[in-house]
Amino acid sequence: MSSAENPVSRSLPYAGSARLSPPWYQRKAVRTVLYHVFVGLATLAMLYPLLWLFGSSLKGPSEIWTRQTALIPNEIHFDNYKNGWDGFGDISFATFYKNSFFYAGVGTLLTVSASAVVAYGFARIKFRGKRIWFGLMLLTLMLPIQVQIIPQYIMFNELGWINTFYPLLLPRLGGQAFFIFMIVQFIRGIPRELDEAALIDGCGQGGIFFRIILPQLKPVIITAAIFSFYWTWEDFLTPLLYLNSPKLYTISLALRTFSDPSGATNWGEVFAMSALSLVPVFLIFVFFQRYLVQGIATTGLKG
Amino acid sequence: MMKTKKGWLITLLVLVAMILPGAAALGQDETVELRMAWWGSQTRHDQTIAVIELYKEQNPNVEIIYEFSNWDDHWTKLATQAAGGDLPDIIQHDYQRIQEWVTNDQLLPLDPFIESGVIDVSNIAEASLAGGRVNEQLYGFNLGNNSETFIIDVDLLEQAGIEIPPIDWTWDDFEEIALKIHEELGIYAIGGNLHYSEHWKGTYITCCDAYAYNAEGDGLGYTEEQDQYFVDYLNLIKDLIDAGAIPPIEETIARTGLSVEDAYIVTQQAAMEYGWSNMLVAVWNAAGEDRTFIEHSVPSMADGYPRNYIKPSMFWSISKNSDHPEEAAKFIDFFTNSVEANEIMMAERGVPISSAVREALLPQLNPAQQAMFDFLGAVEDYNSPIRPPDPVAHGDINSNVYLAQVVEPFLYGQMSAEEAVALLRQEAEILLAQ
Amino acid sequence: MTDSALRLPRRASRKRKEGRSRWGENNLAGYLFISPWLIAFFAFAFIPMVLSFALAFTDYHILRGWNFIGLDNFQRMFYNDVRYWRSVSATVKYVVFAVPLRLVFALGVAMLLNTNRRGVAFYRAAFYAPSVVGASVAVAVMWREVFNREGLVNAILGQFGQSSIWWLGHPDYAIWTLILLAAWQFGSPMLIFLAGLKQIPEQLYESASIDGANGIQKFVRITLPLLTPVIFFNLIMQLIAGFMTFTQAFIITNGSGRPLDTTLFYALYVYKRGFETYEMGYASAMAWVMLAVIALLTAIVFRTSSHWVYYETDEGI
Repeated sequence: MSSAENPVSRSLPYAGSARLSPPWYQRKAVRTVLYHVFVGLATLAMLYPLLWLFGSSLKGPSEIWTRQTALIPNEIHFDNYKNGWDGFGDISFATFYKNSFFYAGVGTLLTVSASAVVAYGFARIKFRGKRIWFGLMLLTLMLPIQVQIIPQYIMFNELGWINTFYPLLLPRLGGQAFFIFMIVQFIRGIPRELDEAALIDGCGQGGIFFRIILPQLKPVIITAAIFSFYWTWEDFLTPLLYLNSPKLYTISLALRTFSDPSGATNWGEVFAMSALSLVPVFLIFVFFQRYLVQGIATTGLKG
Repeated sequence: MMKTKKGWLITLLVLVAMILPGAAALGQDETVELRMAWWGSQTRHDQTIAVIELYKEQNPNVEIIYEFSNWDDHWTKLATQAAGGDLPDIIQHDYQRIQEWVTNDQLLPLDPFIESGVIDVSNIAEASLAGGRVNEQLYGFNLGNNSETFIIDVDLLEQAGIEIPPIDWTWDDFEEIALKIHEELGIYAIGGNLHYSEHWKGTYITCCDAYAYNAEGDGLGYTEEQDQYFVDYLNLIKDLIDAGAIPPIEETIARTGLSVEDAYIVTQQAAMEYGWSNMLVAVWNAAGEDRTFIEHSVPSMADGYPRNYIKPSMFWSISKNSDHPEEAAKFIDFFTNSVEANEIMMAERGVPISSAVREALLPQLNPAQQAMFDFLGAVEDYNSPIRPPDPVAHGDINSNVYLAQVVEPFLYGQMSAEEAVALLRQEAEILLAQ
Repeated sequence: MTDSALRLPRRASRKRKEGRSRWGENNLAGYLFISPWLIAFFAFAFIPMVLSFALAFTDYHILRGWNFIGLDNFQRMFYNDVRYWRSVSATVKYVVFAVPLRLVFALGVAMLLNTNRRGVAFYRAAFYAPSVVGASVAVAVMWREVFNREGLVNAILGQFGQSSIWWLGHPDYAIWTLILLAAWQFGSPMLIFLAGLKQIPEQLYESASIDGANGIQKFVRITLPLLTPVIFFNLIMQLIAGFMTFTQAFIITNGSGRPLDTTLFYALYVYKRGFETYEMGYASAMAWVMLAVIALLTAIVFRTSSHWVYYETDEGI
């Protein structure tokens, strides 16, 4: 009996079997368990180094290097967190957090919004020279930043923007090539039927962008926001060059100044502060990823 | 409007209003802004900031804006700032790099400030300042004396039944001791950086009273016949590795950049460690109070000259485009001569060069600092004169030739010592000739 | 049944059919929309890029200044610089292994996580976690520890009777620590795949099930084709990023590219030439050579894309 003829198999979710009860490897419960075991183990492999980081952040100086592979310390040293938090001089990590949040928050907002707008232009509108500008945009991704920073620095110096956040934030008003390209690819995956309908109704390009496209871009915008936040949070080269005063340092910068081969480093504190600096990024991810879950149930295709 | 009397009056008033505040300001002390940059780790940052605060208390009209980073970032940043003409006033500088910065006219000579008495050097030996001189002029002010050292774990040596060697010991003595340590204790004799270029230079100082580079900086300073000395040295290291007395090169490289706390001397997997003398404080801290270390001289070639020389650990320099060089000099004077300031820092950057400061600190020294002071004292009596600064090509040679093409391939067994040394001569001469 | 909704999508041959001039050219709107990028580009990026190109033909030394020297930098690079070729081979080796590994893991895991089972949110976070750690100091220390002689990797290998290796010091194996680091941090392309998977309508899978398709068929006939724009994007981005890898190599090898330059990635070598010996002119020359190579590769991938990338819409760029 083929599956097309058997009335029972038509309505059951597993393919092609004539039996009434599925074989054990297709039973839902078993599959669920297998799934969790397999994925769970893989997760452990993924997480081990991070668990090590957290574990080490609680170790005292005597244990950090002597019991390296151990995940759980013999003695728990919460003071790593307290002492690390104190930072340098009279600048505590509260200041660094504030600066990082400012830079990453505003930076992400600017980058993602601008990138979405620009991406719509590239993806949906035909205009002369589009190819050239798109190619040029991609080209900017391919030049290592190390050879651009000196001319850039000289330029910003002339503008008097050293020791401010301007060089870090203002260029983001144009979006960033990575995100522009990413959103372009997604827009191209959205069928044009709705666009066409709106055009017939008399909607302009701007209207199409805001009312039709943007709502459908939610997953990719969320993704872009997560990436942008995390990359900005981690960025240290531009803060290093443009934020001179330690009061403006971001966490990424502060962590780098903690340790230096020439002197003693309290590694417990370094790990503690590194672990702590991961928390906001993680929280942002956890909070926003539920939007990734929703996705699109239908794209307007007639079913 | 200017044509009427009223117009003139208004213009005059506006002009006066613009000038007055400036005139008023002239009457008071202007606030001087100094920018300062250093590298270090957390301890140094905290201490230096405390010293700056102290200076501010005593000099309220001086505002010091400071920047600090780790070693790599410090130089990346300085290079960028130099290109932008935007260097800080006071820069922490390094013996190996200062030559290049001076040659390219980025730093200010400090002699005028010494002559005018702004920087007081009455308690400082000229030998301590010599390291900061380029072409006879002083560009870097020594922040603390250092010297190459072998840190020795006294207890381990005792356990192995070995006596502390004399100050003028040779590499043959070292070989004996190293093998014995390995035999008796089963650990490494020394942590393992015996292949750095300091040793290359050291070989020629101790064998032949010659420098690795010649005086003009455009060629090597030793002859082809003398190549053999370095060949012997390289073979010595190879033999020790093969005997298991020092770590193999894979191990050494896998462990570069690890912190002091992980060093073999701290974990007692080696009885000695090579480094700069100001390392001892960090080492002893990491190892714990119940250990005992001393600092010892570095071996020489047989029947040779002393290996150790007094080296400035780091400098303060003043950048050429500083707006307030005299205020900067005053700060340097404070940093060097103020006992209070040095009590905060406790020789973290090296042994203070002012004898008055050293005396004042003596009663407060902990064992590690005491050992450091003792060692520097011993070196003062038995040392070679400080070498001339490395030629500009040294950085290039060190990273692109010495390590990348010569010594490390040799240690990985890719070529013999003779080939390695010949290659070194060939490539170095090319780079030096440019 | 030949309902159009059930017909599984075919390849890109539909692309050019619908009218090119249907939308017409809309220069004003186009330029308006991309104006933020245009302005920012010309204000902030254009001059540094042009300057760095010009510097490639000089002997610019950061502390000294520059003189025009024509093609000397390029000659030196290709004929006189041993380390240059070592850096090229290290980078190529890295890209050849790291990029595919990353993409395969990313896609595989994204598919695994594209469900609504309980706990999937946690798994997603867990698989993304390594990328979050990025290239921080802590990662460097931690990764070194994992590959230490007494570290985790050797412990595991020891179970199989393999003797301990000093991974980071061994010329043949050191680069693998970096390749594995890249593979471990597949979170970013994974998320993008996930977003792409979410865009594929459920109905297509349901219809296919009803028609009797099994898992593999669904993957090959539905998932892959509809995912091609995203695969295309990830491929290009990972290629570019792979060639320009710097930070991971810098912190794990301590900026040295040891042992024996097997981890001297191209971008790392550019940095060393530019900031250690201050030869910024030479470094710029190297950077532009790399740009040319990456641009060429990207153009090739773009070219072939019309054969394997399927867009819902029919526009090319």
